[in-house]
Amino acid sequence: MSGAAAVLKNVSFRYKNGDAGALTGLDLTISEGECVLLCGSSGCGKTTVTRLLNGLIPHYYEGELAGDVTVFGRSVADTAIEDLAGTVGSVFQNPRSQFFCVDTTAEIAFGCENMGLPEEEIRERISGTVADMKIEKLLDRSIFNLSGGEKQKIACAGVSAMQPPLIVLDEPTSNLDLDAIDELRRIIRHWREQGKTIVIAEHRLGWLNGICDRVLFMENGCVSRDLTGAEFFAEPTVSLNTAGLRSVAEKRNYLESDTGVTAIKPFENAASIELRNFTYSYGRHTALDIPELEIPAGSVCAVVGHNGAGKSTFVKCLCGLQKGFKGSVTSGGKACSPRDMRRISYMVMQDVNHQLFAESVLEEVMLGMGNEDTDTALEMLRKLGIAEYKDRHAMSLSGGQKQRTAIASALLAGKKLLIFDEPTSGLDFHSMELTAQLLSSLGSECTVLIVTHDMELIERCCTHIIHIENGSVSI
Amino acid sequence: MAQLFTADVENRGLVLDPRTKLAVMITLVVFALGSAGSDITAVRIATVVLSFMPIVLLMTAKQFGKSAVYGALYILVKLSDMLLVPQLTGLAHSVLGICSLIFVRVMPGLIMGAYMLSSTTVSEFISAMHRMHIPQQITIPMSVMFRFFPTVLEEFAAINMAMKMRDIRLGGRNAGKLLEYRLIPLMVCSVNIGSELSAAALTRGLGTKVRRTNICRIGFRLQDIIVLMMILSVYVLLILGRAGVVR
Repeated sequence: MSGAAAVLKNVSFRYKNGDAGALTGLDLTISEGECVLLCGSSGCGKTTVTRLLNGLIPHYYEGELAGDVTVFGRSVADTAIEDLAGTVGSVFQNPRSQFFCVDTTAEIAFGCENMGLPEEEIRERISGTVADMKIEKLLDRSIFNLSGGEKQKIACAGVSAMQPPLIVLDEPTSNLDLDAIDELRRIIRHWREQGKTIVIAEHRLGWLNGICDRVLFMENGCVSRDLTGAEFFAEPTVSLNTAGLRSVAEKRNYLESDTGVTAIKPFENAASIELRNFTYSYGRHTALDIPELEIPAGSVCAVVGHNGAGKSTFVKCLCGLQKGFKGSVTSGGKACSPRDMRRISYMVMQDVNHQLFAESVLEEVMLGMGNEDTDTALEMLRKLGIAEYKDRHAMSLSGGQKQRTAIASALLAGKKLLIFDEPTSGLDFHSMELTAQLLSSLGSECTVLIVTHDMELIERCCTHIIHIENGSVSI
Repeated sequence: MAQLFTADVENRGLVLDPRTKLAVMITLVVFALGSAGSDITAVRIATVVLSFMPIVLLMTAKQFGKSAVYGALYILVKLSDMLLVPQLTGLAHSVLGICSLIFVRVMPGLIMGAYMLSSTTVSEFISAMHRMHIPQQITIPMSVMFRFFPTVLEEFAAINMAMKMRDIRLGGRNAGKLLEYRLIPLMVCSVNIGSELSAAALTRGLGTKVRRTNICRIGFRLQDIIVLMMILSVYVLLILGRAGVVR
């Protein structure tokens, strides 16, 4: 158990088209059987380290690499990615883009098939993995009918079946609710008991308490602090936050609150948006059944619920985007049809790329304005701190700037109800705090709904919780 | 809406071997599209019967809605070809005649294509290609491509939704730029997803020199034999017709 699983010697890397180096002279030895957490603010190089270990750098993502990376004695630079597959298993952030097959069993088998293992052995490995991870009921299912958490479990099972000695995970919990994270923790603990070496790059830290042997805090492409798990998780929240890290202390779990609307901060309830008859079903399955609900106008509400509870159906209905939905909304004493709802509401999607169309930021935000008034638009851009990018193409901005562009275009179009889908997934502490400030400042002029699993964000900016389970708000 | 190679494994009805489907497809192309043996009455009748096979197959795959729509459409076209066109004269005769002729010939193949794509899983496809000794260099890129389509359609749906919220639509102020507005986000998102997808596939060993195995069990079952016998009978009729045994 004392051998080195991975050795990085004086490694520097700069992405092609990148201005600064992603890694600068990194020295790191990971021992066999260790469970290592890589943390640090966005752009510190932690994802780059995982990509060096599984060979995606230098074989897939191009750039200038200096120094040596060896994994179990094999030089990564001289080994093709696909030949490292049996040695290094990878779990990625986005469940949408890491599946190759459409049914779960084939997906778990996929890696083993590529390694050319005999059919009998693959079947044995699948049944072994499935029993270990207790996911028997996920076999022979269609990928498209799984929740995010279930998909991530299948991804882990696919890696597990290949039996690699080293497993790297790159922000595996970005799209998961707290229960799904608990299950992932169980899987990682199990891998650890099997003696596997595990490397996790993560923003959300609390769930890793008690699992990690070693925590590497990265800054500007270097490891700035190398702590044991116990030392790291004893650090006070304040010092973590100043370093750009999320807190490790367990947050209040808003999923434990009652279903329905609950105020969590003092709030003067002037008027409200009344929803009536919010029912929707796919075929025979009832996805949503809310006869009546009142959202306080001007509030910032978190929409919480487990993966698959009906949160996204709910907000789609609210935006008037769900075809065949018949419910009604009364806002300020005026009844709105789904069509009117489309006029007053706007959803900032999780992948903001879907909603940026125009050639420049200024053109983008003026697209939906009633009367095209450049001064008003520029004023709004200044308010949101993106005025200096007004002539850039929106697609060339960073994630946070894109989000602000989308918000600006919604506000200028006179939208009164803003809905955010997971606005802070994959954000470090500073970006999350900025987003939280922005969201609460929006509260005065419009009503804000945030679909999120991020308890820190809720604590910081939300006035109310709307808890949905099984498509319903009453127990 | 995403139907390509996304067979719903939980509810798929009767499963045919991909090779059987391919044989049906080839036969449809030969007889319905290429109208082989249309001078022999028996073959002509058999071809009409054969043309309904994709519609029945869609039904066995529990895709009743699609099957009904295609079935009705095909019957309509066939009836107009048989009954309406001979009644007409002049320009109407030639235009409608050509249209129905094309549709009658092309539709069975198209419906079969729809059935093949919506009822086959990626692993069945790879497995069948492997059994037919098609090299991996062809199979793997094709399977990646097929995996990519449904994802692009999903992205497209999300972009449409975003455009609806912004009230960008035909007849609106920005109608002239509809295409550009849709294509730019679609391209950006597709490139992102495509590259993530390939990265994930590579880290799981897709493309190693090792000969790939497959746990997907495909093989000829009773339903395959029935379908294959039906196809074979059309060829037999053709040969008998050429030999002058049937007319």
